[in-house]
Amino acid sequence: MQVIDVSHLSKRFGALTALDDVSFSVSEGETFGFLGPNGAGKTTTIRILTGISAPSGGTATIFGNDIIRDPIATRKQLGIVHETSNIYDDLTAWQNLMFTAELYTVGKPEREKRGSDLLELFGLLERRYDKVRGFSKGMKRRLTLAMGLINNPRLLFLDEPTSGLDVQSNLIIRDVIRDLNVQGVTVFLTTHNIEEANLICDRVAIINHGRIAAIDSPEQLKKTIQSVQSVEVAFDGAVPRRMEDLKLIPKVSEVRKEGDKFRLYTEDPSSVISAIMEYAKAHNFRVLSMTTFGPSLEDVFIKLTGLEIRTRGVSTVD
Amino acid sequence: MTETGGSTGQFYAELNAAWAIAKKDIAIYYLKPNIIVSGALFPLFMFLAFAVGKPAGPSVMIPGLIAITILFSASSIEPVSIPIERRMKTFDRLVSAPVSLHAVVLGESLSGFLYSIGIALVPFIAGLLIFGTPILDIVPLVCGIILTAFCFATMGTLFAAYPTESPGDIMSMLNMVRLPLIFISGVFIPLESIPSVGQILVYFSPLTYGNDLIQAAYQGSTHFNALTDIAMLCIFILIFQIIANRLYKKFNE
Repeated sequence: MQVIDVSHLSKRFGALTALDDVSFSVSEGETFGFLGPNGAGKTTTIRILTGISAPSGGTATIFGNDIIRDPIATRKQLGIVHETSNIYDDLTAWQNLMFTAELYTVGKPEREKRGSDLLELFGLLERRYDKVRGFSKGMKRRLTLAMGLINNPRLLFLDEPTSGLDVQSNLIIRDVIRDLNVQGVTVFLTTHNIEEANLICDRVAIINHGRIAAIDSPEQLKKTIQSVQSVEVAFDGAVPRRMEDLKLIPKVSEVRKEGDKFRLYTEDPSSVISAIMEYAKAHNFRVLSMTTFGPSLEDVFIKLTGLEIRTRGVSTVD
Repeated sequence: MTETGGSTGQFYAELNAAWAIAKKDIAIYYLKPNIIVSGALFPLFMFLAFAVGKPAGPSVMIPGLIAITILFSASSIEPVSIPIERRMKTFDRLVSAPVSLHAVVLGESLSGFLYSIGIALVPFIAGLLIFGTPILDIVPLVCGIILTAFCFATMGTLFAAYPTESPGDIMSMLNMVRLPLIFISGVFIPLESIPSVGQILVYFSPLTYGNDLIQAAYQGSTHFNALTDIAMLCIFILIFQIIANRLYKKFNE
């Protein structure tokens, strides 16, 4: 069953086209990632699908309900976690949760039981009667997610759920998303965190400049650019100009310094490994470690979005 | 965006959501300094500025004070709360809830309405206890306070539809309307004494009808009649609600 079915969706703000002919579908129980750089159209898509703003063209159905013609029936089955932690700082965590439950017409006994369970799940039960004003960013984010789950949704929209969070909050939120997926909740997640999409999502859509560049599972996406393989090597001791030396190895297209290691991108890892060993022997260096990597989701993302990362800084190329 | 929800269940869901929004506003915004200044102190000082030294007795001054207190207090909550909610992105939470925009507008208006009723009790009780002002007919007083409060609360919600994150922007626009209303509604200047140009504008001010009803409770007579006042206030409420809904829908898109 298709939970979300989007067809030729577009959104224009004056002369700016924020979404351009976007089509995709999400199956029940799937964790679907919407991956793209800032300004790509991720939040615009989520705002349209949750009925906050109207599209300029195209159609979208959620659980078979048209989001334009019947937004209320659609929203009843949704949980929404917005990009910013949009909670009321002057209310307590408990008041925030209960307010959201009342907006979704969750009965009193059920909302109180579920509210306690969620606060416990997110490690906030002891702070339930504290005003949110004193909460850390991570605690606010966890509370926002709890508010998104108070109505026991069948479909959860998460807009950048772990952006800029501490490690503890990150882990809790990712665990909860995985658990929800196991329980059969469909998750629609926007993120610019490539590793997050790789770890959590069953399928990923890469969006750039309002257009879908690719949709597939992370592993299938990686297979599309097998040419981007790499060899990571660490040497004993630092040597000036080592980067320049490694760039001279045949069939190496790019060299990046990553901490105390170097990553050499190539289409032919085996010949590069041999060349590295010869280079080390000739200069009397010891190779501490060497690992080969297939293409990462980040590589796919860079290729499809035109984002180019250079070793002398980061620059974007459209 | 068309929103449907014709069943009884949806109707109660809408009322529940409206009440939840009103309760939230009461908890958060009633004690905000700018609301206390704009909703409670401002009408008091306005009244003192125009009324002190006038020969009119309490039975003339108390209903006027009640009327302008309602005007300012009822329309002061939403122009502060809604821009703040836009800035904090909590307004997205309201418009993405499974209820219509009518419920959001009603809930926001309800908080201004209840605030205004509370504030209006101050001059009402002061009139009774300090000046011993007699109330000749309680029915127009109750109708006048309730309808006028709801009318101006809806007007405040309507102005707050303007898509800004700064309460000052809305308050400036609102005061361009609220301040002239005082002078064309019979609060300080009797309707009969208003110049001929103003005589036409009188009919377009909801405060005219609210003030007329409240005056009737203290003076026993109305300029129009009580039923006309009630009907006109209901029409203004309906018009403000419809326009507010359309503006929120338009600016949300």
